Amino acid sequence: MQNQTTRSGPRRLPRVLNAIVVAAMLCCAAGMSAAAEDPDASMFSFSGFGTLGLVHSSEDEADFTANPLRPNGAGYTRPWSPDIDSRVGAQVIARFTPQFSAMLQVIAEQNDDNTFTPHVEWANITYEPTPEFSVRVGRIVLPTFLLSDSRKVGYANPWVRPPLEVYSLSPIFNSDGADASYKMHLGEVINTLVGTFGKTDFAVPPSGNFDTKNLWVIADTVEYGALTVHFAYETSSYNYDTLDPLFNAFRQFGLQGAALADRYDLDNKRAQVITAGAMYDPGCWFLTGEWGKRNLHSAYGASTAWYLSTGYRVAKFTPYLNYAKVKADTNTSDPGLDVSGLPPYLTATATGLNAALNAILAANGAQNTISVGSRWDVMKSVDLKLQYDHIDLGRGSDGLLINVQPGFRSGGAVDLLSISVDFVW
Amino acid sequence: MVKNLYVSLVNRTAWCACVGLVLTVVVGRATADVVAVVSSTSTVTALSKAQVADIFLGKVSRFPDGTPAIAIDHIEGSPARDEFYVSYAGKSPAQIKSHWAKITFTGRGQPPKAVSSENEIRKLTAANPQIISYMERSAVDSSVRVLVP
Repeated sequence: MQNQTTRSGPRRLPRVLNAIVVAAMLCCAAGMSAAAEDPDASMFSFSGFGTLGLVHSSEDEADFTANPLRPNGAGYTRPWSPDIDSRVGAQVIARFTPQFSAMLQVIAEQNDDNTFTPHVEWANITYEPTPEFSVRVGRIVLPTFLLSDSRKVGYANPWVRPPLEVYSLSPIFNSDGADASYKMHLGEVINTLVGTFGKTDFAVPPSGNFDTKNLWVIADTVEYGALTVHFAYETSSYNYDTLDPLFNAFRQFGLQGAALADRYDLDNKRAQVITAGAMYDPGCWFLTGEWGKRNLHSAYGASTAWYLSTGYRVAKFTPYLNYAKVKADTNTSDPGLDVSGLPPYLTATATGLNAALNAILAANGAQNTISVGSRWDVMKSVDLKLQYDHIDLGRGSDGLLINVQPGFRSGGAVDLLSISVDFVW
Repeated sequence: MVKNLYVSLVNRTAWCACVGLVLTVVVGRATADVVAVVSSTSTVTALSKAQVADIFLGKVSRFPDGTPAIAIDHIEGSPARDEFYVSYAGKSPAQIKSHWAKITFTGRGQPPKAVSSENEIRKLTAANPQIISYMERSAVDSSVRVLVP
């Protein structure tokens, strides 16, 4: 998963949803603007966010990227890359009545096909009969992680980017479907339970397709004063057709080939992601930690990851220190087909298939990262961040790097320097 | 006991733990006393600072008795606002902005409506028992009630 399929890329919102959201916004805008009681309160609110970021990598035989499905990053492709963290997002929320609203969020960032064409990140209609209960239909954020809601809004986060080790456990950020949220107050404790059901489907350049079906997420968030605790369980059926030719070839090799294909293909395989995270932020400092585990019976296997981060606020500066780690829970190599029993004319093919399988297994990266950096609140609605990362790759592992070149030496270390300006309006 | 611990943590934050936060807000002007208020016709008499903060941060949308609560804010950059959030939520203006960035960009809420004039805020508050706002103690008159923390 880590080096191939990730993130919802530039994919089209199902036409029906698209039509519903746009029609709802237009028709209600026309019908209700005259009825507004409070002349100060417009039904529409527009807002936006963005990041201009530059990243330097010390490794010139592989690319660092925040999003492993992307085509390139910093390092091999170019030593300094603006593509990793830079993005612009715009959002409109239309509040038709206190109970009914619709939102549309569009983001322009480096896409999986190396373009910057804007895509619809979220588009949904909310029905909120009481302040404690809401139902949304459309394209909706998946609440898998503590910071799922704001992972792309640099200004809302203390760091340049959320720790990759944990945040790349799930390749999907949003789904097309519905969710329901229920908030309970127990004294000063606020408990929010969210259930999401949907599916995703997006193209993986150059010609592949990744889709998930029966996608469920159950997430619970407990807030008590400065403490936030978050648990989530995500489950879905992954289907990645780019791998089909490889495993179809394995299936030509009798029972042992079929067994390997069944074990490693990604053809309607159930994936589960479990997370637990907490954040304590009394104002002057913060401590955030998150743990997650992905189970998947495929060549893109199971992983466990966690991070811990702390920061202290001094005037307009928030220096921070992070440690993050990911390890593979499944094998990162396999003997593959037994070539000794094969007729000579098939040996080369079998050896090639074994090599292809092992390249995928080896990509189940193990790495840990130490990051130090600081946020500087330069002026109203603008911050500047400087972050240094030291990544130690696991033994024999490419970690979460992509575009690994023949000259790359696995298991080494990579140093990154990142500079970002985040803004909101 | 847990509650006492929590309250003492919040107070600690409010008065000093965060050197920078307090310096940012307080230096250059005398510390004024900002108090949370509701209409004098409201039945709410007491709310802890944490309860007030939860309403202004969008975490809670009702008073403890279950009636809806509508927060009215001062505009960004006003001294009363900066001091209110430091004192009640332990957060700097940038942290408040960042908090709302988190919520706004999921469509999960909007910051409270902000009004520029203290007189206007007092008038709005006095007229609607669902409104909660804050002002300098010196601006309080009989139309509004100071909430005892």
